[in-house]
Amino acid sequence: MTSDAIPLPSRARLRVATWAGELAGAASRALGKGSGASVRGQVLTRLAPNAFRLLLRGRRVLAVSGTNGKTTTNHLLAAAIRAGCGDARLVTNADGANLHYGIASALSQRRRADIAVLETDERVVSDMIAHGKPEVLVFLNFSRDQLDRHHEIKSLGKSWRAALESAGSAGPVVIANADDPLVVWAAQTAARVVWVDTALLWSADAALCPACGAVLAHTGRWDCPECPLTQPEASYRVVGAQIRLPDGRVVDPQLNVPGSFNISNAAMALAAAVSFGVDTDVALAGMREVTSPAGRYATAVFGQTTARLLLAKNPAGWAEALPLLSSDPAVLAIDSVAADGKDVSWLWDVEYEKLAGRKIVCAGPRAQDLAVRLSYAGVEHTVVPQLQAALDAARGAAPTDVIATYTPFQALLKMAGLR
Amino acid sequence: MSATKIVLVYQSLLGIYGDRGNAMVLRARLAWRGIDVELAEVEPGEPVPVDGSVYLLGGGEDAAQISAVKYLRADGNLFRAVDAGAVLFAVCAGYQITGKTFTVGDNDEVIEGLGLLDVETRRGSERAVGEILTSWTRPDGAASLITGFENHGGYTYLGADAAPLAKVEVGIGNNGDRTEGAVQGRVVGTYPHGPVLARNPDLADWLLELALGRRLDPLPSGEIDELRQQRVAFVRH
Repeated sequence: MTSDAIPLPSRARLRVATWAGELAGAASRALGKGSGASVRGQVLTRLAPNAFRLLLRGRRVLAVSGTNGKTTTNHLLAAAIRAGCGDARLVTNADGANLHYGIASALSQRRRADIAVLETDERVVSDMIAHGKPEVLVFLNFSRDQLDRHHEIKSLGKSWRAALESAGSAGPVVIANADDPLVVWAAQTAARVVWVDTALLWSADAALCPACGAVLAHTGRWDCPECPLTQPEASYRVVGAQIRLPDGRVVDPQLNVPGSFNISNAAMALAAAVSFGVDTDVALAGMREVTSPAGRYATAVFGQTTARLLLAKNPAGWAEALPLLSSDPAVLAIDSVAADGKDVSWLWDVEYEKLAGRKIVCAGPRAQDLAVRLSYAGVEHTVVPQLQAALDAARGAAPTDVIATYTPFQALLKMAGLR
Repeated sequence: MSATKIVLVYQSLLGIYGDRGNAMVLRARLAWRGIDVELAEVEPGEPVPVDGSVYLLGGGEDAAQISAVKYLRADGNLFRAVDAGAVLFAVCAGYQITGKTFTVGDNDEVIEGLGLLDVETRRGSERAVGEILTSWTRPDGAASLITGFENHGGYTYLGADAAPLAKVEVGIGNNGDRTEGAVQGRVVGTYPHGPVLARNPDLADWLLELALGRRLDPLPSGEIDELRQQRVAFVRH
């Protein structure tokens, strides 16, 4: 990286801020409060408010955003770039800290890396486009998530669209999910787009045309009956467990992360890596190295119970996670602090009816809400709010599957020593 | 006797806050009592059934509200069913469109609603987001708490023909005047999600009793009572 590009006074300030952040991070680790990455980033950006912008400068940036699949897709993309360009050149926010300070924190760890692969929160995308000037930007999907904070899903799409418009011809190549109408509408203003048909599962948030408000027609493909917006012809296409490439070749990604939705994530990451200049087969080989991105799908031991950890943060995420559930009993852990969304009404947008015949242990602070939901779904269950006690109660399966919302998932990673 | 029909209206437009749960709760509470019940889901462009006993509208975004009004007017069957004595239970955005007017967008464009409730909704001073607790007096005079989660930018003002459903203990409710929801004949509007009928079985059973015209036997409620105690304790803390 060309650190000369940063003017001297701000470079000195950034260096002091980075040291202070390191110190705070180390203190946090010593106190057993997690990796310290978050504290490091907060101290860093407090002391050097423009750290996000300065640390992005001079790097070739690839960014990944969307409601679901950000962390896994970012890991797949980073692995592909690593395979193609070498680890020494790469910096990435592997921990999933995707706000300004989380990104700054990751970047401060590898000042010399000239390629940055960055998971980016939906609300940070506009700043990423303006300050990171990404070469490649991956738009995965939009769905209902934490509606106590994001009241209108469409407003995020609007902000992406505006940022791409002002970036103009210097803007990124956008790798966009052709199955998601709001993504397509947001990406329309990009200078260049590579469309990917991801065979998206969740379409409950795509009823209306984002351009004109008409009710969209969904007949295998989606189309607006009242304006020109329609599903674009895709260059990459997910077909079952395989990916059809732009040249017509069909590849089997043979991933080591489960689920059909991860085939979709891999197709998006592959298109991004190839667009960046990595060879297709090299990228695929790299992606196969990914097994448990930021703890997702990790298997760990909790006392007498061995558990496999799955994360689901919203109805679309649960629709993806439930088919992966294979143990009986299984644990579902629900919380409702800010990071989970304070309103758990979404429990009723998840088809827990599919779990009928299995015994479920309801865990986490909102276990009772889940219990009532499962009673109405006709699913046998017990309520054990405390996580370790819930895991003890679900002992026997090998391993016991756990699906958790964000906060209990992070707590489980910590209990397992995975973060 | 034919099955009691619950009609869930336009989930794709008015269903982003888990309000489909209200339909699942009503269906289950009849089935658990051995009463024949059918759940019908209808989407824009399909004819709304005229023979429903309870119709349900849920929460959604601005553009979806406008579309829902347009399709319901064009179809007309919801109006016919309400005229014939069906129960309409409308939550949040659904409550707003059931009224005479509401506003959407950054410029507060005034949109004409279905006019089935004598209420009008305008943008409020601050968005109402959070747990809400209200007290409701059941028609038999017994007091019952209603717990839920409200999330709305519009504030609703009641006209002479509509009566408040409940009194606010914690939260914003209609507009900060300590009232929540509206009742006008067999049309009921309210703000809380939860879904509200999952957290408040008394309210669910009242709607069913209105629709069936008779009292229902009580159901076991230990698990829901525990949830209600937790939510009430949380919000009063």
